[in-house]
Amino acid sequence: MMSPPKFINNRIEEFALQVTYSPEERTGTCVYNLSLIRSEDLEFAIKIFKDSYRAGISVSGLVRFLQPGVTIEDYPVPEGCIGIVSVCSSTLDGLLLRRGIPMKPIGGGIVEIDHRVPKRFIHMILYEHTTIDPLQVLISQELTSVNAVMRQGSGNLLANIRECHMEAESLVGEVLDSLTGSDLSGILEVGMPNTPTLGVTVDPQFLGIVAVGGTNPMAAIREEGRWEVIRAMKGLMDVGEMTHINEY
Amino acid sequence: MIRTERKYIEILRILKDHSEPVGAKRLSEIMAERGFILTDRAVQYYLQYLDEMGFTEKVGNFGRILTAAGIAETNYALVGDRIGFIISKLERLAFRTTFDPETATGDVGYNLSIVPKDQEELVISVFDEVIKAECGFFCSYRIVDHDPRVPSGSIGIMTICSISMDGVFQRNGIPVKMAYGGRLSIENGTPTTFLDLIGYRGTTIDPLQLFVSAGLTSIRTLLRTKAGIGLANVREVPCTAEGRVKELIISMRKCGFVFPIQMGNTVLNLQPNPHRISIASFSGMNFVANATEQGVRITTEIGAGNIRFSKIVDME
Repeated sequence: MMSPPKFINNRIEEFALQVTYSPEERTGTCVYNLSLIRSEDLEFAIKIFKDSYRAGISVSGLVRFLQPGVTIEDYPVPEGCIGIVSVCSSTLDGLLLRRGIPMKPIGGGIVEIDHRVPKRFIHMILYEHTTIDPLQVLISQELTSVNAVMRQGSGNLLANIRECHMEAESLVGEVLDSLTGSDLSGILEVGMPNTPTLGVTVDPQFLGIVAVGGTNPMAAIREEGRWEVIRAMKGLMDVGEMTHINEY
Repeated sequence: MIRTERKYIEILRILKDHSEPVGAKRLSEIMAERGFILTDRAVQYYLQYLDEMGFTEKVGNFGRILTAAGIAETNYALVGDRIGFIISKLERLAFRTTFDPETATGDVGYNLSIVPKDQEELVISVFDEVIKAECGFFCSYRIVDHDPRVPSGSIGIMTICSISMDGVFQRNGIPVKMAYGGRLSIENGTPTTFLDLIGYRGTTIDPLQLFVSAGLTSIRTLLRTKAGIGLANVREVPCTAEGRVKELIISMRKCGFVFPIQMGNTVLNLQPNPHRISIASFSGMNFVANATEQGVRITTEIGAGNIRFSKIVDME
């Protein structure tokens, strides 16, 4: 018999535990998402990735484009397609865990942005109740407006939330500070202890941290009517194997 | 502050449930039924604020109706609250199910799908395919065109919602918990493995609707090759209810219901549970999934209401 489907909170923690990325050294491994686009859309995708990096709604500027036939984790990129490796926000969870911060992934959803300010989650799927990545299914519900956020500053983004114990608040602050000048960004909101963060309830004595989803550029590509496939949380990769989008 | 927002949203939800305008006095009565005690005056104050926000508008002296922005707000606000809303909406339908499988009478819960009229023939053929392959929840459906919820130029289709099963169990004193919506892999005509599960208590969008619009089903292939991916629900009942549940299932099958796929402490690749019987059954959403896969522009409200069982069967 096949093993039972694995719930996403387990998968995030398994991946997060293997993250070795150091924001100070800018070396180590991070969790990545793998997406596919059609070969002819490559230029378009590069433009979207640049725009989303500039608008501050991507987890990282680091990407890697894979030509057809290149194999990654036993998966060959199909003919006529380009594989896009981008940094997954679970990398942040890995950083928190490695600093000894008690952290629980809560869920993935859609955040409404109003004039560049995150207003509230309007949809949420809790990780311990799903075996499929929430952002992977939410991207196809026609609920995102990532392009509108990039252009006008208002719209809906993919985002996720985790919670940390308030005792670790200063440590959390240190980790988030260390991201400045690193390859990781995309923190949307850090909540007050015991207070719902962007409308999502946290456990007693915990505080919520909301980060943008790593697949927002892919959502933007999809919104423009281009074909894409997303396989969230695909594996781990050394950041040295990735290149900054601005170099394309 | 949060407590206040809850009241605003509840007023919007009440207005959403009503197709005609509702006055402040009636609103305060309905609010009280739902546990929010407010004076008429307080309701007036809230309504004034909602008018200013552009969520409601006055219709002469008849009361308020929701604006498009108001409808959107009920779909967006209070995300934490709405995680529980998916299941409580279905539970209301289950409670209102009065179907008696012995006499095949009473009310069942239904889903309402809307399809453009020019695709009527196509949608009938894809629905009939699902019935023939016995991977819907029930062996019939009903086409409606005289319903205020069906826009002109479209047809409505009612399919029996599987929450009717929960209703029948509950009326017979059996507690039942709707646990998951899932994607089920079928090989050689035999269901083998749940590929994905989403819990009804962990999402603001119906699990099966998520799978359908994410294109994660392959019913069309399933119907042609006996191998593919369909949608199924998992519910749980206490072990001691097993005998009674089996009797009810037998009589429901005689009425045309098509379930279960499997039941027991160990079902397919679900985590075995020694204290609960899991019941896996195909969902009525397989009709909708097959239609979507074959290019029908279909939108569906899951758990749209209750209707007399005979009205759905009469279609034959």
